[in-house]
Amino acid sequence: MSLLKKTGTRIKGTKESLEEKQNTHFIEMRGEEDFHAGENEFNRRDFLKIAGFSFAAGVAMVGCVRPPVEKAIPFLIQPEEIIPGKAYWYASTCGGCSAGCGILVKNRDGRPTKLEGNPDHPLSHGGLCAIGQASILGLYDSRRLKQPLIANAPADWTQIDSEVISKLSSAKQNGGKVRILTGTVNSPTEKQLTGEMLSGLENGKHIEYDAVSSSAVSDAHLISHNKRIIPRYFFERADVIVSFDCDFLDTWISPVEHTSAYAEGRDVERGELPEMSLHIQFEGRLTVTGSKADQRVRVTPDEITPVLVNLANILSLKAGVSFPLSQLLDSPVNKDLLNEIADKLWGNRGKSLVVCGNQDISCQLAVNFINHLLGSYGNTIDVDRHSNQRSGNDKELSALIEDIHKGEVDLLIINGVNPVFDLHDSKKLGEAIKKIPLVVNISPRVDETCEVSNIVCAESHYLENWSDSEPVEGIFSVSQPTINKFGDTRAFAECLSAWLGTPKSAFDLISNNWRENIFPKSEKDGSFQAFWDRTVHDGYIEMPSKELKTDSFDRSSLESIETKSWNADNSLSLVLYSSIAMREGRHSYNPFLLELPDPISKVTWDNCLSVSPERAEKMGAENGDIVSISIGESDTKPIQLPLVIQPGQHENVIAAAIGFGSKETVRFKDVNPQWIDAKSSVGKDGYVGKNVAGFSTFNNGLRQSNIKNAQITLIGKGEPLAFTQEHNSLDVRDPLLPAGSHRDPIIKEGTLTAFRDDPHSVVPHTEHEGDDLWGDDHQKKGHFWGMAIDLNRCTGCEACVVSCQIENNIPVVGKDEVRRNREMHWLRIDRYYNDNDGDVSVVFQPMMCQHCENAPCETVCPVLATVHSSEGLNQQIYNRCVGTRYCSNNCPYKMRRFNWFNYAHEDEMQNLLLNPDVTVRSRGIMEKCTFCVQRIQEAKIDAKSRGVKVNDRSIKPACQQSCPANAIVFGDMNDPESQVAKLLKSQRKYRVLEEINVRPSVGYLAMIRNKPESDGGMHHG
Amino acid sequence: MAEVLEIKRLPLVDGNKTPEQVTIDIAGVVEARTGKLWWIGFIISAICLLIGVIATAYLIGTGMGVWGLNNTVGWAFDITNFVFWIGIGHAGTLISAVLFLFRQQWRTAVNRSAEAMTIFAVICAGLFPVMHMGRPWLAHWMAPYPNLRGPLWINFRSPLVWDFFAILTYLTISAIFWYIGMMPDLAAIRDRTKNKVRKWLTGTMSLGWDGSTRTWQRYEIVYLLLAGLATPLVISVHTIVSWDFATSVIPGWHTTILPPYFVAGAIFSGMAMVLTLMIIARKTMHLEEYITIRHIDTMCKVLIATSGMVALAYMTEFMTAMYSENQYEQFAFINRAVGPLAFAYWIMVGCNVLIPQLLWFKSVRTSLISVFIITIFINIGMWFERFVIIVTSLYRDYLPASWADYTPTSIEIAILVGSFGLFFTLFHLFCRLLPVISMSEIKGVLNFGREKQASLNQEEMQ
Repeated sequence: MSLLKKTGTRIKGTKESLEEKQNTHFIEMRGEEDFHAGENEFNRRDFLKIAGFSFAAGVAMVGCVRPPVEKAIPFLIQPEEIIPGKAYWYASTCGGCSAGCGILVKNRDGRPTKLEGNPDHPLSHGGLCAIGQASILGLYDSRRLKQPLIANAPADWTQIDSEVISKLSSAKQNGGKVRILTGTVNSPTEKQLTGEMLSGLENGKHIEYDAVSSSAVSDAHLISHNKRIIPRYFFERADVIVSFDCDFLDTWISPVEHTSAYAEGRDVERGELPEMSLHIQFEGRLTVTGSKADQRVRVTPDEITPVLVNLANILSLKAGVSFPLSQLLDSPVNKDLLNEIADKLWGNRGKSLVVCGNQDISCQLAVNFINHLLGSYGNTIDVDRHSNQRSGNDKELSALIEDIHKGEVDLLIINGVNPVFDLHDSKKLGEAIKKIPLVVNISPRVDETCEVSNIVCAESHYLENWSDSEPVEGIFSVSQPTINKFGDTRAFAECLSAWLGTPKSAFDLISNNWRENIFPKSEKDGSFQAFWDRTVHDGYIEMPSKELKTDSFDRSSLESIETKSWNADNSLSLVLYSSIAMREGRHSYNPFLLELPDPISKVTWDNCLSVSPERAEKMGAENGDIVSISIGESDTKPIQLPLVIQPGQHENVIAAAIGFGSKETVRFKDVNPQWIDAKSSVGKDGYVGKNVAGFSTFNNGLRQSNIKNAQITLIGKGEPLAFTQEHNSLDVRDPLLPAGSHRDPIIKEGTLTAFRDDPHSVVPHTEHEGDDLWGDDHQKKGHFWGMAIDLNRCTGCEACVVSCQIENNIPVVGKDEVRRNREMHWLRIDRYYNDNDGDVSVVFQPMMCQHCENAPCETVCPVLATVHSSEGLNQQIYNRCVGTRYCSNNCPYKMRRFNWFNYAHEDEMQNLLLNPDVTVRSRGIMEKCTFCVQRIQEAKIDAKSRGVKVNDRSIKPACQQSCPANAIVFGDMNDPESQVAKLLKSQRKYRVLEEINVRPSVGYLAMIRNKPESDGGMHHG
Repeated sequence: MAEVLEIKRLPLVDGNKTPEQVTIDIAGVVEARTGKLWWIGFIISAICLLIGVIATAYLIGTGMGVWGLNNTVGWAFDITNFVFWIGIGHAGTLISAVLFLFRQQWRTAVNRSAEAMTIFAVICAGLFPVMHMGRPWLAHWMAPYPNLRGPLWINFRSPLVWDFFAILTYLTISAIFWYIGMMPDLAAIRDRTKNKVRKWLTGTMSLGWDGSTRTWQRYEIVYLLLAGLATPLVISVHTIVSWDFATSVIPGWHTTILPPYFVAGAIFSGMAMVLTLMIIARKTMHLEEYITIRHIDTMCKVLIATSGMVALAYMTEFMTAMYSENQYEQFAFINRAVGPLAFAYWIMVGCNVLIPQLLWFKSVRTSLISVFIITIFINIGMWFERFVIIVTSLYRDYLPASWADYTPTSIEIAILVGSFGLFFTLFHLFCRLLPVISMSEIKGVLNFGREKQASLNQEEMQ
């Protein structure tokens, strides 16, 4: 306790927990007790004491302006395992979404401060997405529920338990309808407990739904493979990937797993000859996945079905299999292109993969048929060891909603979802839920659904309790608590066990279940304890794999493919998508995610309606204009959103992100610094963005995210949007461009064919290096830190941005400050559009301090606050900085960040997340990427104490650590064996703005697209 | 005989003043009761100053964020104002030192107030580098003084450090030069005044001036030496200020033409400001006979010359950019002229190049109203010149992803207003408390003795 906190600012709940957990003895702060003693009785002695103190304090204040140093008192008895200031790592599983990525939790002084991907994890391979990174803040959310509520009043668990148990037993007697409504549950223990609960009931049911639904994929597999599952996809094994409206790198099912696999397939230099997978994307809006594609075909969501059916038809001809349709449907995509794609797929049988994100059974069946014809099942798709990452069932959900509306449900237990927020007609649904006799909601925060629930059970954060999961069949993982509970909270499993009448701790529940059900499935070498210990240590266990079964595709399922003909109509389709930062809105309490720019539009703190440039031009609309959206005949209330012009989007598609406009965002009203011109970070209605989930309706029992017959009308000017990047193109517009000249390529890009023919064609060899003013004065004899960034691997997912933000205590500045271009992110991902005959291609370029050898910032600082280290780091000395901003002006990359204000650090609870190794900067000083110098130092100290050489593989800056695509590699450029040195020898390597001779330490590897054109100089702008 | 009379120059002071009359006229301004007009001007200036003080207090209390700056545009109004005021300060030294060395005696009518203007302008300028710091309370770290921080000193490679020295030197030399030049006049006031306080003050400040030949001799040597010392500063100060930009890597800043361009611009803007002030002063303080139309005419000629120099600089920049084949450089300049902040560029060109061309006409040069209006335009134009150099180079530099826009906030505007408030408050106090024209020097260029000597000569010849 004493190490954690300074005088008088103790946080409730941490004290007891830490004492218990570590079985250590803490010293109470004397001053605090004295202070409390004085509160109640105030006698003469106290008066004199206080008077004396104030006098002394006054004298002290005269003497020195700075407050006296507050001392943390060390442990009286040193706990055996804990060394103050040393970090410990615990393997666990990310609870940010249901993908179940493996994480390592960094614990320091008894509290977790950072999450990192578990490099050994079989799914995530060390990556961790933005949401996963940011989810640690949920632990320190001071507005999280600390105790359960009954009718919005604090209550205790016994009261709740007795109420729920009595309701359950009465349901048991009179057959009342009990419904458990959750998100995807892939925890074996929770599944077992729900099963146990329902088995005793006459009319009980567990319904799962995903706010971002993939129900159609499961349903299609039920028809075609007789199994209601989502298969596991292996993008790394596919040489040809054709994706239909499927944003698999962004938010679809398991993005970290997919990104990691996809990036392996896109590694040009993996073999002897340059090679990479071919990726063709059909989509309406511009997605992260689409932006990485080699070929992108713009289609509206409606057009996907005919295209897929035609492709299936063509492939069935090739395979000599019958297909229900004898001729091709009318399709917006011309036949030659489809034939070409079919040829490529057919030529790569067993090494190709077709995926589709549409919520349409016909589509999904056609995809399954295609994959079946191509032999993908068993090769690039696994239905046996399938994914459990989304198991929602929309049909059951719609049945439940009907039941709720009919008033037939007697007890509703909700966990992990927010139906009043997620579903359409939420007001009516909320009213109907209110009428249910008992609604129990297990939630960490009071969300929209909690407001209509009778009982709200405070749910603990996933870092506070034991839990388990099985994200993919046969891969089990365990999460262990890394801190004791902050409040009187329970895990979902604990609630269920209490209501089953046998209250047990999560640990007992899980270890029992594992002993009985999971351990027997393993190879069983050794005792259960050994098995358990190993699993907890590793964070996961992979069960011995069964032989891959042959494809069990059921031909009769083809009958279910609806083959309605396509006719071109110009109706607008509204696409509701989940953004990389907000997803379904579960993390909308999280300022890191709200400030994270959309990877494509670069808008923060808002959800916008993206519209193609052509449509915007027709409407006469500009970025930030307010438009009203409504759906044809539906009675859904029109919603007004700011408009953002999105190049690359289909003209008949408009798109908006869900997850915004939640109740949780009310807290961000004053998140930005307050001054006379400051504007609030929330909209007029008090929320960040608007909830558009109301537009999503059921169609054939499937929740649709593509809604036809949308209408938009321009309302007028709105507030300017908070973009982090306002200039999107490297092509400078004509009047600004002198004839015959173009800007030097900041992004270098080429085609695979050209790269194969001549590896130098993409990055022409530069003849000479510029002169060096310093001569041989500053040789790097020891380490020479550098970085290599592979543009081909980077998907722009921005996991690194959040990771960097948390690692380096970078403040959130709020919407208004972002609008003023004062975001503090040390790492940004520049996104450039390149207009190729009306179609855009997109490149992402992570940009951070380049640690230039001839750093322009260093020479101009008048007070030597930024200097170069002997190991090549450009260092910023905060204490010395007086804030002239000259360094920033002189930075060609503009990657220095100035503290315009003292940013908020008032939330004591949130401050526990601060990394103790990194200074919290005050106002008026400059900061920037340090290459995570604290990690370099740690590794060096560690190596020194062990008497070994520093191994640069043990140093991973936060950005590299979190990158699912392994696009960032840091290391010692002086060590020829290091990965970075090898990468920097690549023929794709170039340095940004090489020509101004600042000699950056960051090298970029040029972007290669798998395209036939042989012109290598496809440079941007 | 007639030839002798013809080569005699026109008198620099009108109205056949006697030396006594000069003293009465000029010291009289100081001794007379404070006029209504002065009070009005003073109060307006003081209000402006107060606005600036409040805005500065808010800035220091809240943080740099109350300015409209951002990650890309790290300097805007602050350094624009700084360079602007430093530029204004240039005319003083030029008039007092350089023209002194070149024996341009018409300078005597304006040198005192031009020097005062210099000092006040440099004071205004000097505030901005301090104000623009994120942590202004640590401004003393810019100075190389013995400290306990070990080997940590200042960075002599940084142009900001050069700036610090340049401005400090300039302020010191200008202040000494001004003060030394004022000593005989202060003694004159001391000798005339009956007000005890003023007598004591002027007495102390004139350092026991006794008017003896020896004193005069020493004085003139010191004055000459100081003029010699101050002359290089006319070139150096703005040259060094320009290095803030020229030594950087930012396209639009990184050009070798900046030093001469800045010096010419500084003289241009300084002269314009002197003219603006003199036209008001001669009217309000009834100094028409000392600051004659001929003075104004002469200064206008300096304006035409320097306007031509800045015009040449503007063109040369484009030429250099074109010739360099450096795309970033080319983009920077074309963007200045046609980019989003093109209006600033065209205000600059209009005010600094086009409007001053009117001064080719004698009728324009000799019309007070037209000269006054033109000088106001030049002041505006020169402020925008610095804005163009600073902001339009920064806001669109290398990587398009980091491009940003800039809009000033009310606080920035208030501080600009405040700096004018400070300048004019000081100038008002100067007009009221010190002799605005160098009595001792102007007596040397009176027509008084010459007419007499000429007629005596004539008689002798006959």
